[in-house]
Amino acid sequence: MRRHWVFALGFSAVLAALPAYAQRKGDLLIRNGTVLTVTQGTLANTDILIRNGKIAAIGQNLTAPPGIEVIDASGLYVMPGIIDAHSHIAISNVNEATNPVTAEVRVGDVLNPYDIRLYRALAGGVTVSHVMHGSANVIGGQNVTIKHRYGETDPEALRMEGAPRTIKFALGENPTRVHGRNSNVPPLSRMGVEFVIRDAFHKAQRYREAWDRYEQERRRNPRAVPPPYDARLEVLAEILRGNILIHCHAYRADEILMLLRVLKDFGIRRVVFQHVNEGFKVAPELAAFGAMASVFSDWWAYKFEVYYSTAYNAAILTRNGVITSINSDSPELNRHLYHEAAKTLKYGGLSEDEALALITINPARQLGIEDRVGSIEVGKDADLALFSAHPLSIYAVCKKTIVDGIVRFDADRDPDDMRLRVDPEQPVELAITPQTHHERCLQDTDFFALLTEITQAP
Amino acid sequence: MKRLCFYGLLFGLMTGPAAAQSSSTPQARQGVFALTNARLVTITQGIIENGTLIIRGDRIEALGQNIPIPPEAEVLDATGLEVYPGFIDSGTRLGLIEIESLPETRDYRELGELNPQLEALTAVNPNSVLIPVTRVNGVTTVLTEPEGGLLPGTAALINLFGYTPEHMHLGGVRLMVLQFPSKGRRSPFDRRKPEEIEKAFREAMQKLDEIWDRAMLYARIDSAYRANPERNPQPLYVPEMQALLPVLRGEMPLLLKVDLAPDILAALEWIQKRGLKRVILSGVAEGWRVADKIAAAGIPCLVGPVLALPTRESDRYDKPYANAALLHAAGVKIALRTGEAENVRNLPYHAGFAAAYGLGREAALRAVTINPAEIFGVADQIGSLEAGKKATLFVTDGDPFEPRTQVRYVFIEGYAIPLHNRQLELYHEFLHRQPGLHLQSATD
Amino acid sequence: MLLQRIGFILLVALPSASQAQNRAAESAPSPPVVTRTYAITQARIVVAPGRIIPQGTVVLRNGLIEAVGPNVSVPPDAFVIQGDSLVVYAGFIDGLSHVGIPAPKQEETPPQRSANPGNPPPERAGLTPERDVRVLLKPDDPSVEQLRRAGFTLAHVVPREGMLPGRGALVLLRGSSADAMIYRSDASLFVQLEPARGVYPATDMAVLARFRQLYREAARRHHLNALYAANPSGLEPPPYDAVHAAFFPVLEGKKPVFFYTEDALDLHRVLALHRELNFPVVLAGLAGSFDVLEKLRASNIPLFLTLNLPEAPRDTAAKAIAPSDDSLAAQYRPNLRVVDYRNTEAERQNLKARQALERIKYYETASRLHAAGLRFGFSTRDVEPKKIAAHLRTMGKHGLSEEAALAALTIDAARLLGIDQAVGTVEPGKLANLVITDGPLFNEKTRIRYVFVAGELFEIKAPEEARRPPTETPLPTADGTWSCTVSSPDGPVDGTLRIRQGSGTISSSALPQPATLENFRLQGQQLTFGFFTSAFGQVTARLTLTGQTAEGSLDVPGYGTLPLRCHRTESPQR
Repeated sequence: MRRHWVFALGFSAVLAALPAYAQRKGDLLIRNGTVLTVTQGTLANTDILIRNGKIAAIGQNLTAPPGIEVIDASGLYVMPGIIDAHSHIAISNVNEATNPVTAEVRVGDVLNPYDIRLYRALAGGVTVSHVMHGSANVIGGQNVTIKHRYGETDPEALRMEGAPRTIKFALGENPTRVHGRNSNVPPLSRMGVEFVIRDAFHKAQRYREAWDRYEQERRRNPRAVPPPYDARLEVLAEILRGNILIHCHAYRADEILMLLRVLKDFGIRRVVFQHVNEGFKVAPELAAFGAMASVFSDWWAYKFEVYYSTAYNAAILTRNGVITSINSDSPELNRHLYHEAAKTLKYGGLSEDEALALITINPARQLGIEDRVGSIEVGKDADLALFSAHPLSIYAVCKKTIVDGIVRFDADRDPDDMRLRVDPEQPVELAITPQTHHERCLQDTDFFALLTEITQAP
Repeated sequence: MKRLCFYGLLFGLMTGPAAAQSSSTPQARQGVFALTNARLVTITQGIIENGTLIIRGDRIEALGQNIPIPPEAEVLDATGLEVYPGFIDSGTRLGLIEIESLPETRDYRELGELNPQLEALTAVNPNSVLIPVTRVNGVTTVLTEPEGGLLPGTAALINLFGYTPEHMHLGGVRLMVLQFPSKGRRSPFDRRKPEEIEKAFREAMQKLDEIWDRAMLYARIDSAYRANPERNPQPLYVPEMQALLPVLRGEMPLLLKVDLAPDILAALEWIQKRGLKRVILSGVAEGWRVADKIAAAGIPCLVGPVLALPTRESDRYDKPYANAALLHAAGVKIALRTGEAENVRNLPYHAGFAAAYGLGREAALRAVTINPAEIFGVADQIGSLEAGKKATLFVTDGDPFEPRTQVRYVFIEGYAIPLHNRQLELYHEFLHRQPGLHLQSATD
Repeated sequence: MLLQRIGFILLVALPSASQAQNRAAESAPSPPVVTRTYAITQARIVVAPGRIIPQGTVVLRNGLIEAVGPNVSVPPDAFVIQGDSLVVYAGFIDGLSHVGIPAPKQEETPPQRSANPGNPPPERAGLTPERDVRVLLKPDDPSVEQLRRAGFTLAHVVPREGMLPGRGALVLLRGSSADAMIYRSDASLFVQLEPARGVYPATDMAVLARFRQLYREAARRHHLNALYAANPSGLEPPPYDAVHAAFFPVLEGKKPVFFYTEDALDLHRVLALHRELNFPVVLAGLAGSFDVLEKLRASNIPLFLTLNLPEAPRDTAAKAIAPSDDSLAAQYRPNLRVVDYRNTEAERQNLKARQALERIKYYETASRLHAAGLRFGFSTRDVEPKKIAAHLRTMGKHGLSEEAALAALTIDAARLLGIDQAVGTVEPGKLANLVITDGPLFNEKTRIRYVFVAGELFEIKAPEEARRPPTETPLPTADGTWSCTVSSPDGPVDGTLRIRQGSGTISSSALPQPATLENFRLQGQQLTFGFFTSAFGQVTARLTLTGQTAEGSLDVPGYGTLPLRCHRTESPQR
């Protein structure tokens, strides 16, 4: 029987069509560690009991239920699993750089659980990553929040079930270079960037209105004609309704203010800015809007829009009441985010808990998952990282990383070669000459010839 | 008078958010200084607790536990503080680049493969905004390198203070950079067959050999001419060959950039075949794989960046952190490099990671102080706290490898450097912006 | 039913008749066909997997199998093939490939920059679902004969290039015109995760998004068409374009979408897309599907597994024969720690062992699919036809029984394509598609001797190369005359080498007289020799021989090492 095509369009149908992957969850008892809860202080000589992937109890001298694995954390520091709010690992594509607006594209469609970079981040205490579309487009694709369940080979297993939907926006030099300068397609300037966004939102409003009218009419007239289906405008309409959270890559103070104005005009209440190297210049405005910021610890001067940056950015934003996180945007940096956070002790004198919050509870808030992760509290997911010293010390070595109560990284037990799959035909000693330049959101979209290649990340 | 100078100095020197709200830009100055009650980490002669260090002019005049303080000295009470020799980054692009995405600001790479006659020193911008940002974290001296092609030019050792490149240039140290051919893949998208890569490598080696042979012939002609200009013909004007003369004659060290294990082995073979005596390897990312061979050849290595990804997918995740330690354990003399420009300030943290992953704190400290000084031949001037050496040092409130540590004073060749840079300025201006939220422009 | 049968026969018969005419018209080297009746006598007949007639006769007439059995009599008008040492199988079926469609020439120029990369014309974006494979088929393309030599008689052919290359057809591997080859046209809609270059969709994720957009909009238009057809009054005519229209039969459930996957991730992505939109789908390729067995089992989708298998990388340093993957894999140590330089050799061996283990996973895929209860066919799209037999043998060594392999090649493929009533077994009434070998399928020495495609006989002669005994590349000989050039700082210097049986001379304008070669040594491809010069003394040459050229160096004491290049101008007499 022919399915009524209208039902094919409903988003509820979309979400229902993706089955909830039966996640593996573990049971563990972590004994006698120094527990950095982040939200409720530091607890010495404390145990954590994990049942079915959740933190069941925190306290001293907990009794271990029979048959449960016990991890002796004497001398170790236990912190919440680190959350990286800006990452491009574990996906096969980063940028669909052919159009300034590509909201219908989803990086979650091309998850790659085989990516060794998932493991390398685990080795640095990361348990959750916000995997994002690149910054080539003003309105990019939808992002996906994943847990580092390394070892699973089903891409769906990585998805953090229930995490809110987010989408990537990008302002400034990247989209103007990729589209304006390279392809002669607007935007070429920051003025153009604003127009692209407003134009997209207006069209989405019209689209939504036309569909609402159709839905109304269909009830009384079975011959009502539905408007053309447009997947892109569907997503943009969802943003306007507040169902998809905008994470916007921006650097300059003026473009940050521009977006706040646009969002206000369209009634969008929430936004998280990414990078915002000049966020500190408009910290009061960000705080007043309730916008949040996810920044680098100390990257700067690689583009003109970050020339006037300061490593004190995170501290200034924090002191002005903006919920701030530190991210990596790099498969190298995400291996030592605990060290990046520690830099705020120096650049601005944040306290230890404030510094730890930048990589735990704050990014959790920015991803809408703070009820699940980001601190060590009873009832939250058992995502934890165990370090040999206080994680904000340079000498700290991550020893174990736990996701949903399962040990996914173990410095002592893991073999050296942790690849899940191996190329069956390439010569085995495949060494790549080290790169001297950092990877960033844009990954060389300067060159047209590379456009098609670089959009396929390994 | 003395008191005034003292407070004036403190006012100009102190770092951190509380201080430095001066309306005029503080200036560096030389003079006579006494750091008292400090923990002196000399590197070569152990640790002196409750020590005093006297700076006069550009030198360390004296240091020890109970040495007399000259009456004219400005006393800096360093109770609870530690003194270290200035850290040396053995491989950077500092001064040769301002903004990576803007080609106009990139001066580390020239057109062509063969440019040994070019000098990075002369392109250094002493007023680069990146320099003050770097030295406030204790990195006082860097090797800045050209790149690109086979022989991109000479690298120079510079202090991070001075208004002319010549002033910054330390000890006249220049190294000839040679980018050794590689058998590796250029990127994950490089899909050439192994035979193609081998062929390209052989061709590159052949080209290198041709150039070197030619250079040797040029050297013979030049020597003959110098010995007897009447009888022997003057060498032709070939600036590239001219530039290689000091290297062939052993007067200038050759800095060989090489990272992958098969390339290192090929390089060691080539060095031996050519009978080169003053060679330093730089990069050496896979040095641990052939550490025994490097040690046997007695060649020092400038290793890094430490904070880098493994070169092979099958490598253990911490191999780049452990590389320096493994080389050191095999008996190789190592110094550390970041390869950075705008974040050379993170050298202490690269060293800290190397320390945490097998090198140990002592050896890591040496790798950023006395070792590079010895490798570059300027150990008589820098690299440790010793009387008679240059006063290039910094004072901290803790372990410089720890991120939470603050730097209190920096001296470069006796100049007290104001711990002042644009990032700090921005911090002071915007921590509590005046006005804060301006109601008319507020987004509500 | 009878009418249908007659019609079917006519359909099959007519092309053959015209073909017979065409053949008469050509100046064909093969003798003319005098009968359409054939008998293969006294052969071992594998009627279907597991059903064997140890000795029997097969009679074919007018393109169909007329009789099969131990006591079947040979008709008087039959062309007889003595089948005493032969085995008869049903002709193989290829579930998906591009056989008959010439491979595109190498793209030299990069694609033109598009003025509007976000909204390109459909052809540029790879959207040509209306294209029919019929206009692309070239019956004389060498791939047809190559696939037939491998025992294939019927193939599902699809166009190349783009994410929606077009419509596929079932094709018989014979005929002198495209139409003559067609068995069933418009059989499928072919889709692959192939992004466009430089325009939208340029990534896999955009390809998936584009497909979703097309499918949903096609559904809307389909609905509009129905409304309009029922009663056009008050309605604007629905928009039309070929791309959306190509989906209508799919929406109606009348045509399947064939998706090609190249690795496990492709497979996951296509399965997710299918779950979301629920269109009738068939999957082909499936390399790496050993990681996805559970999902495949749950999804109940027809499958065509690629016949391609990975090959071990050639070890440029190895002299001996490479060890087998199984023996390599047995040496694997999963917990090896590579601590420092002392462990690098063990690491290399272990990496090779691990890689061998991975290759074995591919070899085992077919048998694991079978063991999981999944029935599948094969696809030849990614494999060179001359390697198919070897790959089947490899699969056989790793758990795939001959019965299961045969089923996949014949009856299961037919069933999955919906044509099992007409082909797939050696039974009366079915199309005369047969493969006749001189031994069991998996046997290394077995050769295919004859192939029947719709009753047309093809004798498979051994290729010229197979006559020569298999050799490794013969070791080069240094004998002959070589023209050499030495690159010296003063310019190139030429010389001539004459070598015979391990000794020789070198002459050059730089030498007063030809010098005798001393210390002559040829080891494998490495040649070294020396000769005396008055200017420099003994100089040594080191060369690597590759065929007719040699490259290497000349060591001149006190001077250095100079590059040396030679090429052979005269080969030795045989």
